[in-house]
Amino acid sequence: MKHQILARPAATIVRLLLEQGESVTCQVGAMIAMSTGFEVETTTRKKGGGGGIVKGLKRMLAGENLFINHFSATGDKQNITIGPGMMGDVIHHRMTGGTLYIQGSSWLASDTGIDIDASWQGLGKAIFSGESMFWVKCSGEGDLFLNSYGAIYAVEVKDQYTVDTGHIVAFEDSLQFQIGKAGKSLIGSFLGGEGLVCKFKGQGTLYCQSHNPPSLGKMLGPKLKPR
Amino acid sequence: METEIRDQPAFANILVKLSTGDRIVAESDAMASMSANVQMSTRWNGGVITAVGKRVFGGESLFVNEFTADGPSELVLTQSWPGDIKEIELTGNTLFLQPGAFLACEPTVRLGMGWAGLASLVGGEGLFRLKVSGRGKVWFGAYGGIFVREIQDEYVVDTGHLVAYEPTVRLKVALAGGIFSSFFSGEGLVTRVKGPGRIYMQSRSIGGLAAWANSHLW
Repeated sequence: MKHQILARPAATIVRLLLEQGESVTCQVGAMIAMSTGFEVETTTRKKGGGGGIVKGLKRMLAGENLFINHFSATGDKQNITIGPGMMGDVIHHRMTGGTLYIQGSSWLASDTGIDIDASWQGLGKAIFSGESMFWVKCSGEGDLFLNSYGAIYAVEVKDQYTVDTGHIVAFEDSLQFQIGKAGKSLIGSFLGGEGLVCKFKGQGTLYCQSHNPPSLGKMLGPKLKPR
Repeated sequence: METEIRDQPAFANILVKLSTGDRIVAESDAMASMSANVQMSTRWNGGVITAVGKRVFGGESLFVNEFTADGPSELVLTQSWPGDIKEIELTGNTLFLQPGAFLACEPTVRLGMGWAGLASLVGGEGLFRLKVSGRGKVWFGAYGGIFVREIQDEYVVDTGHLVAYEPTVRLKVALAGGIFSSFFSGEGLVTRVKGPGRIYMQSRSIGGLAAWANSHLW
């Protein structure tokens, strides 16, 4: 499967080129256009694999859909264009074993060989990290596409790195994070508008989003008419 | 300190590369991510009284954050809404920023508050404005793209689109046309700016987004 990412970062789409026998798993509703040589299958589980309804339900808790779509090319040189529903960025991540934790609703598509599960992030983190209660947990080998509101940038964490709550897109399982205060003093951190942050430790790749929806919501909300 | 504005114009954000001892001041909540060896301290936005004034009248935050690098490190700064970011180098001159536009500055830049006048309030821009002066770099943001215009004489800007202007520029509120066309053309009140001086405008306005969103809610 070959890919090309276009119109970054505001209106990003991905063009995938598949040869006969190759397939890709996409988020429900991600397909924008495709050539006619595809077989489409909708299931709650990994293509041809296990998992089933339980993993599907867990994914729902993480903010994803119960169902996922598998597109299999029945001929050579079949292309499919996918994109997220909201404005924002899409990035490509090559998985070579290991696990990637992804914020709810940021998983867009992946190779059929990648297992898509969800994992509870723990009560403290669930309340304070500014993310969903569950992470989408991808493991295996192959191509993975992530999307988010805002531009996505990668950070190679060597030792420690701090991310403001609500700005995490995904991170490798070789990284762990703790909730901490942004500055030296707790009061200062809150008065400074940063409040709590996620402090990462370890070595691995971390993806962050430049903007986050609650900031826009906070500003736009008061200007919206009551419903 | 090296800075780079990335992902322009829709999701502009600033990547700041810091060396030991480098400092940068940023608007409250502007930090998206940073190295662990960057220290953040919070202080009043000016003195206590100025800060309260800025909050109440200027729509600015009560506090600003100062980031200090303990070693080679990086910091990513962003704004609340999608849009562009502009960098300006002050060399002893002054610039007025509309409420909410300020994003970051070098510590040598002074942040003050200036009376913008009733014209500014009626024009939907607030009674006060943020005044940045001194020497050093200033970054400000906008909703939408930012475009610059050197004006010699008079120029008309729709309300909510003016982001920043030089102190030589005067503001006046006026009707867009006659009474009828002003209210039925969708333009209503506009800001008349009088030069000479440079003005910065944004290609979209939050008021416009709110109106659009409101018309689609049900």
